[in-house]
Amino acid sequence: MKKVSLRAFSAILMAFLIIIGLGVYVGRYIKDGEMWALYFDQSTSGSEYTLTDRNGTLLAKMGGGEKSYAENANTRIACYHVTGDYTGNVGTGALSSFKSKLSGFSLITGIEEQDDVNLQLTIDADLNLKAYEALNGRKGAVMVYNYKTGEVLCMVSSPSIDPLNPPETLPDGAYINRCLSASFTPGSIFKLVTLNAALENIDDIYHRTFNCAGSVDVKGVQINCTGVHGQQTIEQALSNSCNCAFAEISLELGPDIIAEYAEKLGITTSLKLDSISTQAGNYDKDGSMSASMAWSGIGQYNDLVCPYAMMRLAGAYANGGTVVEPSLLGQSSKTTQLVSADTAQKIASMMNYNVVYHYGQDRFPGLNISAKTGTAEVGDGKAAHGWFVGFLNDEEHPYAFVCLVENGGSGLGAAGSVINTVLQAAVAK
Amino acid sequence: MPDTLVTIASYILPLFAIIVLIRCTRSMLGNKTQTEIWGYIHKDDGVALINHWENLIGRSKSADICLPYASVSRVHAVLIRSPKGVWRIFDIFSKGGVWVNGEKVQATGTVVRDGDVLNLAGNSVRFRDISEKQRDAIEARRTQSWKRVHPAVTLFFLTIFQAILLLEHLCTAESEYLAGIMLGFVLLVLLEWFCYFAMRSIRRTGFEVETLAFFLSSIGLSVIASSVPDEMFRQMIIVFAGVVAFFVLGWWLRDLDRTKTMRLPLAILSVLILGAVLVVGREQYGAKNWIFIGSMSIQPSEFVKVAFIYVGAATLDRLFSTKNLILFIVFSALCVICLAFSSDFGTALIFFVTFLVISFMRSGSIATVALAITGAGMAGFLMLKMKDHVARRFATWGHIWDAENIWDGGYQQTHALSAGASGGLFGKGAGNGWLKNTFAGNTDTVFGVMCEELGLIIAICAVLAILALAFFAVRNSGHGRSAYYSIAACATASMFMVQVALNVFGSVDILPFTGVTFPFVSRGGTSVLACWMLLAFIKAGDTRKGASFVVRPPEAKTKKQRESAEEREETA
Repeated sequence: MKKVSLRAFSAILMAFLIIIGLGVYVGRYIKDGEMWALYFDQSTSGSEYTLTDRNGTLLAKMGGGEKSYAENANTRIACYHVTGDYTGNVGTGALSSFKSKLSGFSLITGIEEQDDVNLQLTIDADLNLKAYEALNGRKGAVMVYNYKTGEVLCMVSSPSIDPLNPPETLPDGAYINRCLSASFTPGSIFKLVTLNAALENIDDIYHRTFNCAGSVDVKGVQINCTGVHGQQTIEQALSNSCNCAFAEISLELGPDIIAEYAEKLGITTSLKLDSISTQAGNYDKDGSMSASMAWSGIGQYNDLVCPYAMMRLAGAYANGGTVVEPSLLGQSSKTTQLVSADTAQKIASMMNYNVVYHYGQDRFPGLNISAKTGTAEVGDGKAAHGWFVGFLNDEEHPYAFVCLVENGGSGLGAAGSVINTVLQAAVAK
Repeated sequence: MPDTLVTIASYILPLFAIIVLIRCTRSMLGNKTQTEIWGYIHKDDGVALINHWENLIGRSKSADICLPYASVSRVHAVLIRSPKGVWRIFDIFSKGGVWVNGEKVQATGTVVRDGDVLNLAGNSVRFRDISEKQRDAIEARRTQSWKRVHPAVTLFFLTIFQAILLLEHLCTAESEYLAGIMLGFVLLVLLEWFCYFAMRSIRRTGFEVETLAFFLSSIGLSVIASSVPDEMFRQMIIVFAGVVAFFVLGWWLRDLDRTKTMRLPLAILSVLILGAVLVVGREQYGAKNWIFIGSMSIQPSEFVKVAFIYVGAATLDRLFSTKNLILFIVFSALCVICLAFSSDFGTALIFFVTFLVISFMRSGSIATVALAITGAGMAGFLMLKMKDHVARRFATWGHIWDAENIWDGGYQQTHALSAGASGGLFGKGAGNGWLKNTFAGNTDTVFGVMCEELGLIIAICAVLAILALAFFAVRNSGHGRSAYYSIAACATASMFMVQVALNVFGSVDILPFTGVTFPFVSRGGTSVLACWMLLAFIKAGDTRKGASFVVRPPEAKTKKQRESAEEREETA
């Protein structure tokens, strides 16, 4: 009997194989269940699933066993990172992120019977087109949203491809949405974070004067400035984007406070755009109080930011410190108090001062704009990344924006002019 | 309104499936089995306990009574207790021979009484039976706590499960079928409660095996109600017949001697039936395995499955007999050959794997070689005979979503996957699917139908119910009254599991597709009937006190008998 019962365990082995098989099935169900479920369902039910922009322009359509994209090739390219594709190459694309909203499928409930479904995004395909054209083949990201309602109007990442006719050789990083899924050296736009920390931590900041002789020595290492700015107030230091002044402020604040603000303001954390998680930025604390530490407050050193986080921060300054969380699906009801109303108001007016007294209002005809430029040194002998982040002071067009032109050379020249093109089109609507 | 009701019901339903499954499993596996002592072997260097009714004596460590003397064969003798308490010893072709009180033991065995001296190849040991008192003590101790999980409560939860299932069908079915569906479910509930009370009335308290079978049957009935509602009544008749067959076979299995006498006739009859199918059978869906009598269609290979296990299992003394082994090998080979010639690949595979399991469980020294050669031969033959068929199935395996296969070689799998996934965890509600209308939807791809209509959770519960039966059979295998019951129960469990594996994993493309049935669930008269009969083998392995009707209770003693027995002991 002993032998018989020992050998009976061969049956247990079979049972375990079955359990493993069930595990494999469940795993595949989680991975491919949606594809399976939709495969025959669409061809049998005849329901149509469409994805459109805010004006009703078709971005993608599924149904009757067929799948299609926008009619116009340029729209397909400009909206590629918003739409994504049916193979799921762009993880943040609507076809992937809002799959269940489109098809009515979820792993829990399976397919629920429904009529034709239209998912309307807040994106304006025309603005995307304008932005993509303005980037003119350069790598970069453009994003605009309404800081009162949260609606994201424009989201473009370059390089892009036509999902209907993908090229043989893929441009580098074409599947990445640079607005959400990448982080870059911020350069001077990071000074907004340092400034924010300074306003709340250095009591007499408004009564100080910052002296700039074109460079400053920190523990034997020279920090160069963009010019010789002489005696400046804090407003002037920001509009001059004076490295000497911000090196001084950074060293006074220290790495802990700057890191705390970088996190509090959403720069170094992963944020959510609807259900899409964004790339977190980076701020390395350098405790040595050396030149590296000073640079970290000026947006160099190991600093990285995601364009989306900068736009959201600009939205907060524009909206009295409270972010109406951006959304691709409609007006947003979710708000976050990011900074105090007082700080937001101070920074907002300083950003307006930048444009009026430094950048030149005539660069943005007809727009009441507040902004900060960034020119991020990326080394390797490559041209600097150009940044432009800010918002419109316009009740009717309350738009916050961010633009990055990789290796664009200058913030104002490269990114600023892209933003001007996009905003002119947005305001004209 | 009905839609909302179905949705709510479909969310509650899995809960009751899980409760039933957990309660049955806990009851079957939840307590420790105690080692019983049925006698003693006094050796020079100590006492060996006799823990079973069938014991292998030998030098081998895996022998029940290990005699580590050089002259003793690895497997030397078998000591067997009859239900009446009479012990016999059999010499199983040992080199040194066996003597009882100096008399040589023949192949037919010799009765051994308390105090007898057994001589195995020159080594003497003394056999001691247990006394009446000790036996009573053992019986008393066997009254254990397993009754804690009350079967009636489990059955009550199952009834709720069935009621909710019926409710879903009443919401989704067409009005002309409502009465039939209602009748079918009500009859099922009546049948299960009748069985329960019938068992209670003969003081049998184990009902988990039946409960799990009724659980699977209700899912099967749901599949019928959804796909061919006009067959509801017919299906209930089949389940009823199955339950009757279960009790008849179970009752028959109580007497091991009676059971054994029927092995040879049954083997011959089975081969004749399979042979007859080859001649007069009709081909359906590529396999010639159907016999039509009037309007009735019968799949004889399903009954032969039962016979296969009936013939394949053996008591410990016969396991080592060449005659017994040859009968088994010839029988298995003939079955597999017949099935191969009728192109019933799925069933042939089930037989083959079951053959391997039985072989593994029964194999001794010579047997190992003979069985291994037979197994290899059968495998080779099957491969040759079926190579085109197998090649076709393997060609689509893993490639069902390739454009050329989706509507062709992978049709059943792609549709099963698609429909199954569209059900999510809770299903679209009984009767709301579309897979049931595809080819063989309610048999080959019934797992997909379960997933689609009842949801993944219940579909997995159905698989786990079969696994629970298997764990139960294995757990009981060490305590069976005879190796025959242990082997039969484990072989049955393996057969069920092979079917589940081929059915489920074939339809979801984890294994190559073979059209076999899911036990108790797939539509099919003969297969459901055969499943209930097979269940009797699992029931026969259940030796918990007063649990199984298949296991005879010890003879009830009158007070007088007991007293006289005690007197005898005292005087002794």
